[in-house]
Amino acid sequence: MTMPAPASQAAPANIWSTLARAVLLGFLLCLGILVIYPLLWMALSGFKTNSQIFSAPFDLPTGFSWANYVAAWNQGVRSFLFSSIVVTAASAACTVLISAWTAYGLTRTRMPAKPVITALILGGMMLSPTVALIPLVRMMQSIGLYNTHWALIILYTAFRIPFTTFLIRAYMLELPSDLDEAARMDGASDGQIFWRIMLPLCRPIIVSSVILHILFAWNEYLFAMIFTSDLDVQTLPVGLTSLMAKHGTNYAQVFAAMTISALPIVILFFLMQRYFIRGLTEGIGK
Amino acid sequence: MAELTIRQVRKSYGAMEVLHGIDLDIEKGEFMVFVGPSGCGKSTLLRSIAGLEDITSGELRIEGQLMNHVPPSKRGIAMVFQSYALYPHMTVRDNMAFGMKIAGMKKPEIEQRIRHAADILQLGAYLDRHPKALSGGQRQRVAIGRAIVRDPRVFLFDEPLSNLDAALRVATRIEIAKLKQAMPDTTMIYVTHDQVEAMTLADRIVVLKDGYVEQVGAPKELYRCPRNMFVAQFIGSPAMNIIEGRIVHNGGDHVTVEHAAKGTAEIALHMEEEVIGRSVRMGVRPEDLSLADDGPHIFSGTIDHIEHLGEVQLVHLDVGLSNQAVIAKLAGLLDLARGDQIRLRTAATSLHLFDDQGERLNGPAGG
Repeated sequence: MTMPAPASQAAPANIWSTLARAVLLGFLLCLGILVIYPLLWMALSGFKTNSQIFSAPFDLPTGFSWANYVAAWNQGVRSFLFSSIVVTAASAACTVLISAWTAYGLTRTRMPAKPVITALILGGMMLSPTVALIPLVRMMQSIGLYNTHWALIILYTAFRIPFTTFLIRAYMLELPSDLDEAARMDGASDGQIFWRIMLPLCRPIIVSSVILHILFAWNEYLFAMIFTSDLDVQTLPVGLTSLMAKHGTNYAQVFAAMTISALPIVILFFLMQRYFIRGLTEGIGK
Repeated sequence: MAELTIRQVRKSYGAMEVLHGIDLDIEKGEFMVFVGPSGCGKSTLLRSIAGLEDITSGELRIEGQLMNHVPPSKRGIAMVFQSYALYPHMTVRDNMAFGMKIAGMKKPEIEQRIRHAADILQLGAYLDRHPKALSGGQRQRVAIGRAIVRDPRVFLFDEPLSNLDAALRVATRIEIAKLKQAMPDTTMIYVTHDQVEAMTLADRIVVLKDGYVEQVGAPKELYRCPRNMFVAQFIGSPAMNIIEGRIVHNGGDHVTVEHAAKGTAEIALHMEEEVIGRSVRMGVRPEDLSLADDGPHIFSGTIDHIEHLGEVQLVHLDVGLSNQAVIAKLAGLLDLARGDQIRLRTAATSLHLFDDQGERLNGPAGG
């Protein structure tokens, strides 16, 4: 006759756990709507006319015409997108390769004064870009890179190396040293160990680092505004501002342009989400 | 000429010296086992031979050639790591081929060597699998295969069985012994802290302690004639019983020792100098003790604890010493119980005698 007691205790416990789950689900749903709705609103507004945006901002568009998207594309978004892709891809490749090689040196070699060198490199994270602006402008002007894609590629690479090195170094510290010792016994040089053993094993953190760098470089505004002035070298964040200045009243085209600029990052994140999360949790999470 | 010669090898990490002038000669085709407790320097010595650690001073020669500054891959050495160190992103085939590809070997030659190693180790069915799809024993075999394909002069094993479960460990130990038989000209150096592995695999064993070589010899020699108390207690399971005592009589071909467990023992030992009153330590292996019904005995006491192992039982005898019991390995069929009063005897030739510094004074015959 003792069986009903646990059953009656279990019932309220089930109610509370269901309720807690429902509250959590509701909260996450609200959070999701809060993040997704502005993006959706922006994309849908690109299908409206300028007057519709002001007269019925929260209504669905009456038709799905690509006219605003095509117009935005032809108004310079194509060039800004190209610049963004070039700068982001080149700086991501440089940053990740240099950082991975640095992290390899810091974790796998018998370099003297390693803690001091590590502190110096990671100390770069403390350097404020704003403080360095004026000397950097003078430097870029004097070496003839001002107003070129190279200016942004070099600056993005230089300013992101400390953080990316920090991420990859943390991951490499977790990899057993037996692997590179086995490769050394097999006759591999440092370069071969790096390319053929360490880099493939670091794939999750490399992907995470690439995504983090892309997010940074794609959205960076300060350097892009200061170091580029011609429309054909400007990246999307700066280019969109000039679009707003020229077509300040045509918000439909601006929203279309913004949607085009946001789309690649959103697609990239969804495609690489698995690696991104794995890389971060395996690396700095431990 | 010895295959591998080690002369006064020292290794320091900063101010801390971990190998204190090791001297060793290893013959061609010999199976040498380095054994010792954790921190004794056995893995450091192996890694120094491999070239993964720089030697601080001394000489390492392989076939007479000085190897101190030769890179690991040029020493003609292959190593099986404790963790196997298989490249997880490569298949078994690629793992084995890695070193040969680096060396620029032709593809048919690489494939032929992989096939040969796979046949020896029964890995043919797993060549296209990744390490994560293999069991512990299979990974172990791949690690050995990766070493075999390099056709090394010296084969190094760094505690290769320590990650396996007990049953697999026994099976793999036998496989390694067979591998040695199949490669009679290859010198093998094997590091372990497990004395059973050392005793069953080795041609000779090097016992290390705190960076010093305590004794080098055949397994039987180390077991029967340990040079000192450390070796005596390290080799053999359960460890040798050591009881303090002093010599009370010198009979020419034997001495009589009165030991701390309130008994006396006659030990076969010829000592010419004046030894009466000298303090000594007497050692007797648990398996050399047997029940003494009414006859002479060396220990008597109460059974404090019994460990039944099936064919034998380990009897812990309280002989009146506050911090030590005498352990005897007796037949499992004997009907003994906790609290029983028993007496133990042994042959005079089975007793070991050490001086107060722990150095051996005698040794049972047959060593």
